[in-house]
Amino acid sequence: MTFDIGMPMIPEAALFGLMVLVLLIGLIQRPASPALIGWLTFIGFAGTFGLTFFAREGATLFSGSFANDSLAIFSKKLFVASAALSVLGSLTLRQGSFQRRAAEYHFVLIASVLGMLVLASARELILLFVSFELMSIPLYVLTGFVKRQDAAPEAALKFFLVGTASSAVIVYGISFIIGVTGSTDLAAIPTALVSNDPMMLLGMTLLLAGLGFKIAAFPFHMWAPDTYEAASTPFVAWLAVAPKAAGFIAIIRLYVEGVGAATLVWMPVVAAVAGMTIITGNLMAIPQHNIKRLLAYSGIAHIGYMLVGLAALSANGIAMVLFYLVAYLFGNMGAFFVVEAVARSENSEEIDAFKGLAQRSPLLALAMLVFLLSLGGIPFVAGFWAKLYVFLAAIDRGMYGLVFLGAVLTVVALYYYLLVARRMYIEAPVRTERVQVPTLLGVVIFICILGVVGMGAWPRPWVDATQHAAASVFAAPSASTK
Amino acid sequence: MMANSGALALIAWLLPIFSFLVLAIVFPFRRLGRPAAWFSTLCAAGAFASAVLAWRIQSVAAHPVHLVWPWLPTAGKTIADVGVLVDAQSTIMLCLVSLVAFLVQFYSVGYLHDEPAPALGRYYAYQSLFAFSMMGLALAPNLLQLFMCWELVGLCSYLLIGFWYQRPSAARAAVKAFWITKAGDVGMLVGIVMLYRLAGTFDITELHSMAASNALPLAGLSIITFCLYLGAMGKSAQFPFHVWLPDAMEGPTPVSALIHAATMVTAGVYLLVRTDWLFALTPNVLLIVAWIGAFTALLAAVLACVQDDIKRVLAYSTVSQLGYMMTAIGAGVASAGFLHLLTHGLFKALLFLGAGAVIHAVGSNDLPNMGGLARRMPQTALVFIIGTLSLAGIPIFGGYVSKEEILGAVWGAHLTGPFLLLMLVAGLTAFYMFRVVFLAFFGTPARVAAVAHAGAGHTTPPRVAHAALHNEAVVEGAHVNETPHAHEPPATMLLPLWVLAVGTMVVGVMSTFHLGGFAAAEAAGETAPGWLTPTAVGVALAGIALAWATYQMRAVNPESLANAFGPIRSAALRKFWIDDIFEGIYSFVLLGFSRIVGWIDRYLVDGVLNLLSDWTVQAGDELRGIQTGKPQDYVYGIGAGVLVLILLMRLVF
Repeated sequence: MTFDIGMPMIPEAALFGLMVLVLLIGLIQRPASPALIGWLTFIGFAGTFGLTFFAREGATLFSGSFANDSLAIFSKKLFVASAALSVLGSLTLRQGSFQRRAAEYHFVLIASVLGMLVLASARELILLFVSFELMSIPLYVLTGFVKRQDAAPEAALKFFLVGTASSAVIVYGISFIIGVTGSTDLAAIPTALVSNDPMMLLGMTLLLAGLGFKIAAFPFHMWAPDTYEAASTPFVAWLAVAPKAAGFIAIIRLYVEGVGAATLVWMPVVAAVAGMTIITGNLMAIPQHNIKRLLAYSGIAHIGYMLVGLAALSANGIAMVLFYLVAYLFGNMGAFFVVEAVARSENSEEIDAFKGLAQRSPLLALAMLVFLLSLGGIPFVAGFWAKLYVFLAAIDRGMYGLVFLGAVLTVVALYYYLLVARRMYIEAPVRTERVQVPTLLGVVIFICILGVVGMGAWPRPWVDATQHAAASVFAAPSASTK
Repeated sequence: MMANSGALALIAWLLPIFSFLVLAIVFPFRRLGRPAAWFSTLCAAGAFASAVLAWRIQSVAAHPVHLVWPWLPTAGKTIADVGVLVDAQSTIMLCLVSLVAFLVQFYSVGYLHDEPAPALGRYYAYQSLFAFSMMGLALAPNLLQLFMCWELVGLCSYLLIGFWYQRPSAARAAVKAFWITKAGDVGMLVGIVMLYRLAGTFDITELHSMAASNALPLAGLSIITFCLYLGAMGKSAQFPFHVWLPDAMEGPTPVSALIHAATMVTAGVYLLVRTDWLFALTPNVLLIVAWIGAFTALLAAVLACVQDDIKRVLAYSTVSQLGYMMTAIGAGVASAGFLHLLTHGLFKALLFLGAGAVIHAVGSNDLPNMGGLARRMPQTALVFIIGTLSLAGIPIFGGYVSKEEILGAVWGAHLTGPFLLLMLVAGLTAFYMFRVVFLAFFGTPARVAAVAHAGAGHTTPPRVAHAALHNEAVVEGAHVNETPHAHEPPATMLLPLWVLAVGTMVVGVMSTFHLGGFAAAEAAGETAPGWLTPTAVGVALAGIALAWATYQMRAVNPESLANAFGPIRSAALRKFWIDDIFEGIYSFVLLGFSRIVGWIDRYLVDGVLNLLSDWTVQAGDELRGIQTGKPQDYVYGIGAGVLVLILLMRLVF
């Protein structure tokens, strides 16, 4: 095989190089300059993002266990782009521990992204699991990295304990699957599934539960609010999006790709989980006083909506899940970055810190409003299309009840989103001076606004891209079979 | 060549939105006022230039240019596009819109020169948004884009009527205009959606070819076209939805010229012209259109005769002329209605801007406060008379041919009733317009006007008393002349007047003598019998003569003339109680209904909803209980979840 830029593993190799470089700088320069490390990481991510555009579709490596299909390439773009935004947003972090240990922070972050990239291409159970862990373990570390001294380690430890439990469930499930199929190849799953072996179903169900933890679906969602509340906000902005996307990619690979009509077995389970997740997420968001906890629960509800699209188990449904992920990326990251800006100025992450923001910083308030409206699914911002599309996909499968439930709870979601808007626009400010927004944070917020409004006004290219990405899942039985 | 006209139309369309975005986003620039005004005017001029070029190309092109981008995707197909449909019809409409928009913006620089800078910038932002929306409406390739632009022009109309929002009457008029047109719009939206259900497309070209090939099912089509017509009724002020238009005169006069005379109010007519092949399939609806149009024309003409406010005369005259256009469409000759739309756009803008010049000079809207202005402002008087003669339908003036064509079309369609109504309206139109001319420009200067001039304040006591008496608009705050004598307006205002006057004359002369493109248009409408032209002109001249005798020579005492029509006059002064009926409907039926609904809402709906929302909030609180913060509980959660999932899978099998 000759070397070329479109080969699989090229972005992964680049990230690995970046990771080593950051580690070395951290070892040589003590303490490493956070600005240097941060910019280096950002440029590295940006470069990797560029590399993903050269990736050739359909290329495989290692006897087909590592494949770059359109879904893999699409999700790699998503992972790297969101990580780049997060790094850009965190460049202005001032916390002491972050300043002192910037190299470690970024090293661990890159490792996690690397795990995601491998995961996106993995066509083999062991590789899938290992890359999943490569993604997850750094998340535990990063959660406890900065911020309030007692809360962060506590949240990190909790996250780690439950995360490990879920990983155990995954491994347990995988052991059944390998036991039945006698192979670690994902391509062996469809045939085994069709045979209706109960052990196979048990394995797959356990695996689904484990993955449900990663995407924070009910009842595996409980880690999310605690973790979000304690960890540093730019990291949470990314944590709330990228690992969930990775979870979805894994689910798509395991349960949909190449399975054919047999995949419909999963429809009732996924629909039930989707419905429960939407209900709990939205209802539990209502009594929250902390904006990050509110966004955590609302994020859980969004996962529920994505599961609605997934429950359709159709090409269109998968595409719309991907579309939803992108819309959620911009809307949710944007909201978290505004939270970061306000929290930094007010020293508070309570929703009350937003009081009278419209009078103090009208543009920042407007940005937050746009993000909230997008999350709430108001036309014509990105979130509206996202919700509409997953609903349409579900209706194609006749799941009217689920769509109705989802639509009703959208109203509940609007209620708590608009509670924040009300604080910003109607209630009087406690203080009057402007909220200082660091330039880089402003840039990131602006990018997210562009994304939200752009997708809302002109969803076409995104729909095309996601449909293209989803198409590979339903292409003729995967080429990776040896 | 073809692509060129598409691109040109696109440029014409997008220049105003560029101007709007600049003014809206770069607010320090907007707050400068004058530079913002000139910037917006420049964009409008550019739009006009490219509109003319597009029209030049498209008027000889064989095929329309359909330049669209897919929008609103769903799985596998596109519900609607955005873009432009460039054909002869839409480009000439584009020319009219951009020309009047440009002239009005130019004129407003002079007219609103006392306005504070931020308000001026806001005014021009609205103007730009309006120009964009109206052009988008004209160029719309599908009904969805047309509807969106339709709503946008409604929004701009609302914003501009209420431009002086500190004034309660302006704010009220803005709301009234918005709600009444909105009532029609609801019908229109229903019609569009039903049409989509029927035909599976919003695209005008596709619908047209379906209609041409009889692919459209006729069942239920009447309801659809009637719903579309409802929208047109609201926008084009057809009875009984005409009540908002006279009140809309609360906006600045240039706004009235642009939106409430030349462009937006003709959108309803344009919609019907654009879809005349659809209406042709439903002759029963066309009959309704014709009768309501003719009735509206008459009603508004009668109302115009008793108004003392110069702008209200023009407003009712606009309603009346819109009725004319609608009648032509109802007669099945949309081209005649469209031609009248174009000529009317020119001369009515001219009349409004002329009236603006008068108001600017006198500081009052009321005819009794004017008089003898021809000596002080001869140029304004001249162009105003040109406009008046056009409106009266006198040969070689702009409105002559289009009016004749409408009359010929209505006669040719054997609509004798509407035809007689329109004939009567022709006489009335000449009468009330020359009443304005004689009262404002000839005769003796009014004493009250002198008082108005002497006072340096913006409103003078007689005006206020008068306004209070008639429950009408207080003097426009634009400009009250402090010199003792009225004088010609500044060049920024005179120039647009002359451009429009010359344009009206050129169109009039060319059409009267069948020159240029009018020969072809004429050939199409050549159904009129020979006696029609002399009769129509004769009726108009009779109307002029009566006005002359009454208001100039005082040979006929206006009082005795009024008494001769006693009951009609007093009824007309009360606007035939139509506004009162609306008021009554509003305050008794609607408010009464609202009270009932309000009670139900407060005690029943709110009760249930409060209960539901309480439950929801409570459920949220209860659910919080599962979030104990203890990791062992979380792991229990995972375990329980696994079990439930396994059970679920068992249930499935």
